[in-house]
Amino acid sequence: MLVEGKNICYSYAFGGFSFALRDVDLNIARGEFVAILGCNGSGKSTLVKHLNALLQLQQGELKVAQIDVRNEKEVWLLRRRCGMVFQNPDHQFVAPVVEEDIAFGLENYEVPRNEISGRVRSALARVEMSGYEKRAPNTLSGGQKQRVALAGVLALDPEIIIFDEATAMLDPDGRQEVIKIMEKLHRAGKTIIAITHYVEEAVAADKIILMHQGRVLACGSPQTVLTNLDLMKEAELIPPFPVRLYYDLQQAGIYLNRCPLTEEELVEEICQFKSKI
Amino acid sequence: MSIQIENLSFSYLQPSGEKVDALKNVSFTIETGDFVGIMGPTGSGKTTLLQLLAGLRLPTSGRIYFNGEEINAKGYDRNRLRQTVGVVFQDPEYQLFATTVEKDVAFGLKESGLSRQEATDRVRWALETMGFDFEKVRNQSPLALSGGEKRRVAIAGVIARKPEILIFDEPIAGLDPFGRENFLQFVTERNQTGTTIIMTSHNMEALAEYTKHLLVLKEGRLIDAGATREVFTRLKQRYNGAFQTKAQRIAILLAEGKLMFSPAVVTYGDLLSALKQELTGGGRG
Amino acid sequence: MRTLPAGQYLPGHSLLHRLDARAKILCALILMTAVIGASSLWGYTLVLVALLIPILISRLPLRPTVAAVRGMGGFLLVILLMNALFFKGETVLASWGIIQLSHEGIKQGFRIVSNVVLILIIGNLLTMTTLPTQVATALESLIKPLKLIGVPTEEVAMIISVAIQFIPTLMEATELIKMAQIARGARFESKKLSERAVSFLPLVVPVFISAFRRAEELSLAMEARGYRNAKNRTRRQKEPLALHDYAALTFSVLICLIQFLLQR
Repeated sequence: MLVEGKNICYSYAFGGFSFALRDVDLNIARGEFVAILGCNGSGKSTLVKHLNALLQLQQGELKVAQIDVRNEKEVWLLRRRCGMVFQNPDHQFVAPVVEEDIAFGLENYEVPRNEISGRVRSALARVEMSGYEKRAPNTLSGGQKQRVALAGVLALDPEIIIFDEATAMLDPDGRQEVIKIMEKLHRAGKTIIAITHYVEEAVAADKIILMHQGRVLACGSPQTVLTNLDLMKEAELIPPFPVRLYYDLQQAGIYLNRCPLTEEELVEEICQFKSKI
Repeated sequence: MSIQIENLSFSYLQPSGEKVDALKNVSFTIETGDFVGIMGPTGSGKTTLLQLLAGLRLPTSGRIYFNGEEINAKGYDRNRLRQTVGVVFQDPEYQLFATTVEKDVAFGLKESGLSRQEATDRVRWALETMGFDFEKVRNQSPLALSGGEKRRVAIAGVIARKPEILIFDEPIAGLDPFGRENFLQFVTERNQTGTTIIMTSHNMEALAEYTKHLLVLKEGRLIDAGATREVFTRLKQRYNGAFQTKAQRIAILLAEGKLMFSPAVVTYGDLLSALKQELTGGGRG
Repeated sequence: MRTLPAGQYLPGHSLLHRLDARAKILCALILMTAVIGASSLWGYTLVLVALLIPILISRLPLRPTVAAVRGMGGFLLVILLMNALFFKGETVLASWGIIQLSHEGIKQGFRIVSNVVLILIIGNLLTMTTLPTQVATALESLIKPLKLIGVPTEEVAMIISVAIQFIPTLMEATELIKMAQIARGARFESKKLSERAVSFLPLVVPVFISAFRRAEELSLAMEARGYRNAKNRTRRQKEPLALHDYAALTFSVLICLIQFLLQR
C-alpha cells in the first residue's frame, strides 16, 4: 500500500472537544485514483493535509510511501513524493512569473540550476501550457492557473498528487481542463487523490471514500457508493444526475436494467429498455 | 424597481498599458420582481456588470436607469441608490468586521432613519430569515462562526436594508449540495415577496431551475437574453456543448440514438416527465 | 477608467529590463543620492533630464507613474505650503503673524517636493522593470556583508520577495472589500473627514483578515512544495555584470559627480 492509515483522529485547537477526524482508516494502492467525497465540514480536507504532513498527526498511524508522517526528518522528502494542488488558484503562487513559480519547488530540493529550465518546460508541456513560461499568473484563466500550479507539482515528479478541491472555484470549462489532465496523469500511472463534493467528479475514480462528520461512511467503487441512496443522504450529498433519474423512473414503474453512473450509460440503458418494449 | 440598461460599456487599462473592454455595448431591461441569471465564462464581464448595476463603478459609456431615472446622473441620490440595491459579492464572509453579529448586521441601517427598536427588529428579522436563532447569535463574534455561518451573516447584513434589488455574484460557488439548495430556496422566497434578484452562476442546473430570465455574456458582449427556457433552447442550437444543462445533454444523446425528443427539455423535471411518457408508450405522463 | 497600481512589474525586453538587478539597484541608489545632493534648480533639471534616458529606453507607459505623482498632489502641496509659510527665511516676502512667506521657504518646499517626486520616479523605474524575485536575489547578494554581523540574509531576501509578490493581490482584495462595504452603506466616498475616519474600520478589519488568510494559505502551499528555509535552496546563478551594467553604473556615477561639482 502506498498510503496506509489507521485510527487517525484529529481535533482543531479551536474546535473545543469536537473531532474533525474520528478513527479514520485509509488504504490507497499505487496507481489508484481515489476520490474523497463529502459535504463541507466532513473532514475530507483535514484528512488529506495529513498525507503531506501539513497537519501533524495527533493520534493513530499514517505511512505514505513507506515514510512515517511523524518522522520530522523525512517530512521534507515526503512532500517531494506527494504533491498537492490547492483550492484557490490565486493563493498559491509564490512568484509573479509562471516559470519562476514552477521553479520554486525545484529550488527547494536543490535541483541543479542547469536542469531547472528544462524541467519547467517539460512540466508545462504535461499540463498543456507550453509557451506560457513568461506570463504572469494573474493574467491566466482559472483553469490555466490550476494547471500552472499542477505543473509546479509535476516538476518534482511526485508519485502521489492530491487535488484539494482544486476544481471548486472554476467555471465549467476550467473544471473540464483540470479533470482532463487529472485523468491523463492517472493513465500515466500516477496515484491521484481528489477531494471534492461534486459527485460527478467521483464517477471516474477507482475508489470512493465517502466522509461525513469526520468519519468514513463508506469506501468502495463508485457503483456501490454513488448508487446507494441512503448512504448519499446520510452524507448530505445529492446522487449523480443519472442515479437520481434511475430511481425516479423506478417510482414511475420503469425499471432500467442497472443503475447508470454516467450520461452515456444512462442513454445506453434507456435505449435498451426502449428496444424491449 | 425596473432597470433599464442602454449601450453600457466599460474599459480599463492593463499593466501593459493596453485597453481592455470588459463590457461592450450591452443593453437590456429587467422588470420589477424578476429573477435574472447572468451566465458566461470567467472573464466575460459578469462581475463588472454587477458592479455597474450597483452603481459601484462608472461606465465608460452608456446609461443605467432605475424606474426611468439615470443613476449616474449628477442629481441622483447616492444614499437612495445604496438603499435600493443590495450586493453580495463573492466570499462575502470576508466583509465582516464588527465585534458582534448584531452590530455587523446593523451596520447598514445607520443611515436608514429607523428607530433603535425598529433597527433591532430588522436585524432580528434578517438573521432569522437566514436561519439563525437571534438571541443565541446576536452577541457572538462573527469571526468565531464557521465559514458557512459567516456567509449567512454577511447576507443578513445586506437584506436587513430591505433592498428592492438583490444582486449576488457567484453565490453558490463552492457550496455543497445542501448549502446550494438552501440558498436557492431562500432567494426564491425573497423573489416571491417582490424583491428583484440578479445572480451570476456557473451552475447551469441552478440557473435553469430557478431563474425567470437569463443574460448570457461572452467576451464582454451580451450574446443572448430572454426567458430562461427559451435562452437555453436557443443556446443549445447556437453553441454546441457550452451552456448546456445535463438534461439537455442527455436529450441530445437520446436524439442521436433515434429516441425522442422534444427540444423543450431543459430541466431535470422536463427530462423525467418526457422519459416517463416515452418509456410507458405514451400512456401515463 | 481604472488605473494600475504604480510600480508594478511590467514585462518587457528593453535594455532597462535586461540590466542586472544588482546594477539597477545600485544605479537607483546612486541616482537617489544625486537627487538628495541637488542644491539648485539646475541640479534637479540635471537628474530629470538624465532620467529621461532610462525612461525612453524602457518604453514603459508613463500613465501609472504620472497617476501616482498626481495622487500625491495634495500631500505634495501641503509640504510645499508648510515649508513656504513656516520656514524661517531671511528674505521675507510677506508675513501674517507667525506665518511668513520667505524666499528660502519656497525654495525649501520646492526642494523637498522635487526630492519626493524624483525618488518616486527612480523607484518606479526600478520596480517596473525588475521582477520581485530578481530584486530579492539582488538584495540578497548586496546585503551579504551583513551576514558577518549575524543577519540571516537569505531569509530577509525571501521575505522581501514574497511580500512584494503579495502587494497586488492585497490591493485587489482591498478594492473588492471597499466596494462591498460601500454597497452596505459605508461612507468612503464622503467628503467629511470625520465620517471617513469612522468608516475606516469596516475596511481595515476585513482587509487584515483576508490578508492573514491569504498568507496562511500561501505558507501552506510553500510548505507543501518543500520549502524548509531560504538557505537550502538552489543558488541562483551569479552571472558577472555585463558591459551594459557597467555602462549604466558609470552613467549614474557621472550624473552624481556632476551634481556635486554643480554645488560648488
